[in-house]
Amino acid sequence: MSGSMLRVFAYELRRNLRRKAYLFTTFGVPVLGFLLVMGMAFLGGSAASNPLDSTDMFDLRGVTDAGYVDLTGEFDDPGELANIFTRYPDEDAASAALEAEEIQVYYVIEADYLETGKVRVVMPRFNISYLSSNHIRRMLLEGLREEIDSPELFQRLLNPATYNEIRLLPGAGEDTADAPAGQNPDAQFMFVYIFAIILLMSLFVTNGYLMQSVIEEKETRLIEILISSLRPFELLAGKILALGLLGLLQMTVWLGSILLLPRLTGFGGVLSMLGPLVDTVVPPGLVPLMVVYFILAYLLFAGLYSIVGALSNSMREGPQYAAVFTLPAVVPMWFMQLIIATPNDPLPVFLSLFPITAPLGMIERLAVTTVPAWQIALSVGLLALTVVGVMWLAGRVFRVQTLLAGQAFKLKDLPKLVRG
Amino acid sequence: MQHNVAVSVDRISKSYGSFRAVDNLSFEIYKGEIFAMLGPNGSGKTTTIRMILDILRPDTGRIDVLGGPINEEKKNRIGYLPEERGMYRNVQVIEMMVYLGQLKGMSTHDARQRSLELLKRLELDDAAHKKVSELSKGMQQKVQFAITVLHRPELIIVDEPFSGLDPVNTLVIKELLLDFRRNGGAIVMSTHQMQQVEELADRLLMISRGQQKLYGPVDQIRREFAQHAIIVEGEGRWDTLPGVAQVDMHENGKKEAVLYLSPDATPDSVLAAIATTKGMSIQRFELAVPSLNDIFIQVVEGHDHA
Repeated sequence: MSGSMLRVFAYELRRNLRRKAYLFTTFGVPVLGFLLVMGMAFLGGSAASNPLDSTDMFDLRGVTDAGYVDLTGEFDDPGELANIFTRYPDEDAASAALEAEEIQVYYVIEADYLETGKVRVVMPRFNISYLSSNHIRRMLLEGLREEIDSPELFQRLLNPATYNEIRLLPGAGEDTADAPAGQNPDAQFMFVYIFAIILLMSLFVTNGYLMQSVIEEKETRLIEILISSLRPFELLAGKILALGLLGLLQMTVWLGSILLLPRLTGFGGVLSMLGPLVDTVVPPGLVPLMVVYFILAYLLFAGLYSIVGALSNSMREGPQYAAVFTLPAVVPMWFMQLIIATPNDPLPVFLSLFPITAPLGMIERLAVTTVPAWQIALSVGLLALTVVGVMWLAGRVFRVQTLLAGQAFKLKDLPKLVRG
Repeated sequence: MQHNVAVSVDRISKSYGSFRAVDNLSFEIYKGEIFAMLGPNGSGKTTTIRMILDILRPDTGRIDVLGGPINEEKKNRIGYLPEERGMYRNVQVIEMMVYLGQLKGMSTHDARQRSLELLKRLELDDAAHKKVSELSKGMQQKVQFAITVLHRPELIIVDEPFSGLDPVNTLVIKELLLDFRRNGGAIVMSTHQMQQVEELADRLLMISRGQQKLYGPVDQIRREFAQHAIIVEGEGRWDTLPGVAQVDMHENGKKEAVLYLSPDATPDSVLAAIATTKGMSIQRFELAVPSLNDIFIQVVEGHDHA
């Protein structure tokens, strides 16, 4: 790194680290996200926990105190659900308990229940949690416990089936490669999903700063003073490296926050909401590829955003031009379900090879299938070549177009820009 | 006379597509002089300046700066104030000056010290820790000039250095330019303010459509454009003087007249005739030298002198 490039790098680093928008996006967003998740967990509260066996198919969250009136005379004991259900002799008693807020809801098991299955629910005001039939159905099942001789059979009624998903893929033996022992494919997928979100945000946010920085220097005409002091390439490279580092820092903070913040704040329970993510072991081969794709994707978009910055004459124009490549970049997100379902079909393969969509497309495929090595090599190779081409073009456009401040870019000028 | 050359431009040309912006231009800029670069808009001045600064490369020809082809080290010995100039708006003045000084190879400490020193001289001490956006246009102009000379360059190129400045600040910048020249620096000044050129510049280059139209010392060029006439102010019948072919009285209430001389007469012979003619007195007698403004218009309109 030349001295001038280093100075630009250090300056851009300092300047952007003090930017309120950057600080908020990097540190504020994870905190807000955490608070949001924590709030959701809190609102779910203790009621969120299922008082019964975790293998029970009935989700009993939402209602903690309920009453029932049994007009059949068959369900006098709520059994294991005694901590939730209270039996009332008649509806007047249940209604009085409801008005006294001793219970949240009560159910009336009609006299012809055994023939018709009719149960009436009474609640003080509409509440979607109370509409769930899980509680009463589970309680009614409890009433049948005595009738069922076998405890195993009763367990099966509570939880009729446990099942494993097995993906059937073309090619012998590939199915086992999909989900290596000890790894949860859902967890892998969630990790990749989070990676994709963070990658896209990081690419768009930090390269957005890069574009702003280029436009600002062009808009204020400072650019001419700068490039009389150093080569345009040094200026551009210094900026790209500084903002790349800031992007990496942002990504690290976000990922770190997801994993560390709940533990550090004593809200480890929040982690459980992230499901299998935190317990997973990310496939060892995927991490280096993620790093490679992140770096190449960053450089590709840094080059593209620099070109847009050099072509734009105002902060308003930039994002409009940038949409030309930001929209294609998120296409693998739109097709995520398709990629998961049929990762080796032509469209997912194309998306994992085409440079702009490759970073997300390939990582998504890698999460759910074994991608042939030649496809990975081709994808990385094409992406790397595109990065070189875009960087070269960015240097040219940057040098020429920045001097033409105030002049609108026209497509017919493109050959001139390419020639430099 | 042997001059110490700061910039040597030898037959450079530059085209943008089919448009020839600079056409076979040659000139030299000496150390310790103010060199004015004049020309109408679009004449090729900015392109020439950008080629000197290595922002653009000439298609043909050669440019030597400070003793040879320009390189990165030499860029640190040049200061540039472009016409379209700007600064980071939401950054403190001192921070921006230090950064731009660093880009010119200064240490952080030196850049800071020198920035504060220049700001003090420009009576902008209080502005050091203000954001650029908080400064008036005139203050911003002065800061921009300070940035141009911040790294103690040997050559500065200033494009319209006085635009947007009030008379007081114009004087401050003029003094800085003259100081710079006294210390042996070379100054290239591109401007449309002909009065400033007459007052400050030692030599000039006038370009039109990328080609050299005039080049040389300012006084010499003005003399070359002088008509065969004298300006007098005083009493007398000027048309009776021998050697005077025509008289134009100026309507400015100063009894001022332009005397156009016959081909065989000289200013000296007319002065002698005035001195020996009874009833004539003069308070002013000078050659009728045109202003640079007149010369500029004359050249640009294509009426080149013979």
